[in-house]
Amino acid sequence: MIELKNVTKNFGNFTAVNNLSLTVSKGEFFGFLGPNGAGKTTTIKMIVGLFAPTAGEITVNGFDVIKQPLEAKQSMAYIPDVPFLYEKLTGREFFYFIGGLYSIPKSTLHDRIDELIDHFEIGPWIDKRTEDYSQGMKQRITIGAALLHRPKAIIIDEPMIGLDPRSAKIVRETLHSQSQNGISILMSTHSLPVAEELCDRIGIINNGRLVFCDTHEQLQVDKAKYDGKFESVFLEVTKQ
Amino acid sequence: MILHIIYYKLITFFKTTFETRPVTIIRGCASLLVFGGFAFAAYRFSYATTYFVLEQTRTGLYLYHTFISMMLFVFFLAVNLGNIIVSYSTLYRSAEVSFLLTKPVPYTSIFVLKFFDNFFYSSTTLFIVAFMVLYGYGTYFEFPWYYFAGVMILILIPFMFLAACLAVLILMAIMKFAGTIGFRKVLAGLFLLYFFFIFLFFNSANPITIVEKVNRFYPNVDAYLSQAIPGFLPYLPNQWVANSLYFLARGEIIKALTYTGYLLLLAIIAFCTCLLVARKFYFKSWLVSLHIQSTAQVPYDPAKRILFDFRAKSILPAQLEVLVKKEFFAFIREASQWIHLVVMMILTVLFAISISHLNLRLRVLDVQLLTYLVIYSFGGFMVSSLALRFVFPSIGLEGKTFWALRSSPIKSEKIFWVKFLIGFFLVFFLAEYIAISSSIPFVRLTAMRPLLLWFGIFSAFWISLAIVSMNLGLGGFFANYLERNPIRAASTQGATLSFLLTLVYLIIIVVVIIVPVSSYFAALFQFRLFKMETIILPGTLFAVLSYIFAVFGWIVGIRSLRRDF
Repeated sequence: MIELKNVTKNFGNFTAVNNLSLTVSKGEFFGFLGPNGAGKTTTIKMIVGLFAPTAGEITVNGFDVIKQPLEAKQSMAYIPDVPFLYEKLTGREFFYFIGGLYSIPKSTLHDRIDELIDHFEIGPWIDKRTEDYSQGMKQRITIGAALLHRPKAIIIDEPMIGLDPRSAKIVRETLHSQSQNGISILMSTHSLPVAEELCDRIGIINNGRLVFCDTHEQLQVDKAKYDGKFESVFLEVTKQ
Repeated sequence: MILHIIYYKLITFFKTTFETRPVTIIRGCASLLVFGGFAFAAYRFSYATTYFVLEQTRTGLYLYHTFISMMLFVFFLAVNLGNIIVSYSTLYRSAEVSFLLTKPVPYTSIFVLKFFDNFFYSSTTLFIVAFMVLYGYGTYFEFPWYYFAGVMILILIPFMFLAACLAVLILMAIMKFAGTIGFRKVLAGLFLLYFFFIFLFFNSANPITIVEKVNRFYPNVDAYLSQAIPGFLPYLPNQWVANSLYFLARGEIIKALTYTGYLLLLAIIAFCTCLLVARKFYFKSWLVSLHIQSTAQVPYDPAKRILFDFRAKSILPAQLEVLVKKEFFAFIREASQWIHLVVMMILTVLFAISISHLNLRLRVLDVQLLTYLVIYSFGGFMVSSLALRFVFPSIGLEGKTFWALRSSPIKSEKIFWVKFLIGFFLVFFLAEYIAISSSIPFVRLTAMRPLLLWFGIFSAFWISLAIVSMNLGLGGFFANYLERNPIRAASTQGATLSFLLTLVYLIIIVVVIIVPVSSYFAALFQFRLFKMETIILPGTLFAVLSYIFAVFGWIVGIRSLRRDF
């Protein structure tokens, strides 16, 4: 479960996130949408501990990310928008590296890595250095690494960037099955069809404020008010 | 075309340098303060050294300039070697070059832009230091103001420029041959050749030999040394600079200008040669560098277990284990890291071996105190350089991948201490090696009394602790996570500031040890009893000061790891 209460983030005089409150329940797949610069990535970075909020409270699986950062981080996984990896490590070494950070026993780690290699179809290049990987390969490694410690919540920023159709399908199916298994997922995306396909609930942020938040079913009703397209709802609620 | 690009580069430079954000202004003021303090210290040091050598020890103008010539040779090598390494990143690995190559910009223009970029980027601090040293030196000789400007513009800058031109020519030669016979072979061959020339120079004009001769013939050294200068030395640019200064000091302007003319002519010839070679070969060599980068990897066999294999069991806790292994592979698989470390280790070993063979005889307090302090400071300087190059960039080199560590359940302190311990052990062992080697001649001088050896071991520990802490801490504070090149990361403004701060620390430490070391030599040379109490208070002060500097580095470093990423 992910919970944000009145969260604000200022960068000098600029307010990137303004008094944001939202909850992602256990097993819920939450789509986090918004135009460029709306505050999506800032919100995500606050949840995973890369930014400190200026005000408000964030809890992940019951742990306050500021007061109990280690427990909060142990229970969640983060997949960034750009999959930066340690270039001098191979994909397999990166998996072991991340596994070690989450203190997964070696014997368990060996098996989980082998499972993930099969699942993400990354066997042919897993033992090459990541500096030689394409964007899609890196993205698959990042997503695989995030699942190593069996997190209870996944925070994912723009998962489909740079993925070929096959990789995108694998990622979509993986996230969907994780959600089905009771994992809370907060996914930021610019892809409206992906959000519609995967998410139980969708929130739209604009100028740091949550301007829309409805279930998948309610979204269909909202769409009907316009021309039946989610794009029209999105453009309307994010109109300046 | 060049002017158009320079215009936009200047706009970027001024916008980033003169930002009006409070943090930038505070940083700027702090930089100014440290730079100003350092510049003043360089001036005072230069003036005091010139005064001390010429008035106190009465070494003589000629001998002093022979020493200056040797120091200039070392300076030339430092600028040259630094430029070879930095220009590889600026000329061949820079994203700006890749960008400009896709635009209708002539290759020679790109070369010229990046050459000057490299020269000014890596030499700005050296310009300031060189000028302040010149100012101290010239103040002693009461030079008029225009001498300072003239020497700087016509002698010192062309001297450094010449070193940079030679560096780029050597680099392009490496690329040329790497394309045909392989990068590793060329690099190995070139390093051997480079060190052969250094050996040849110091074999003929060894400062150690000169110190020994000074010890043997003191105080009639000036006349003796006029015969000791080897035959090839007059043809080297460092000797021309020393000669120009020597004749300026004697008021013989025409003779000084003759040597300046030689230097300027050689610098112009070197730059024209660079342009000609670049016109024919720069783009081709850039393609070679691409090929080298793509084929540099050793094929990886997953079936084989390698040293520090991630799959292997470890006695360390999981987080510690993977952090250490990650640091190991990131270092060992980056050619510019390990090659530079090997070069610096060879230089350290050369320095240590030379010093350990120094045969001191003269029982004159001022001369031995000066010799001890110079060797001690130089050892400290080497330790600072090592820490700057390998410890300072280590946090910034995490790059954008730092998200992986920052979002995982690991304490910032643990990340910091792992990096600290790795850097500390590397620097500590080399510092101890330098300290022990450079204590040997003084142990011989003092009839095998080991006090200075123990003091060397003691101070190497504290100096390593303070310098590594400051470099790591300030490296975190000034971390630029976008800079992936370790060499460039170690030559940024933040790195320079960190280096200057470590030099300020070293100056303080040298001041602290002057009294006890002086008392020790005085007691020995005058056959008096040396009381151990004399060393206890300065020793404690030494440790406390080092600890304060170290704690400062730790606090700054750990806080920097908690900043927004």
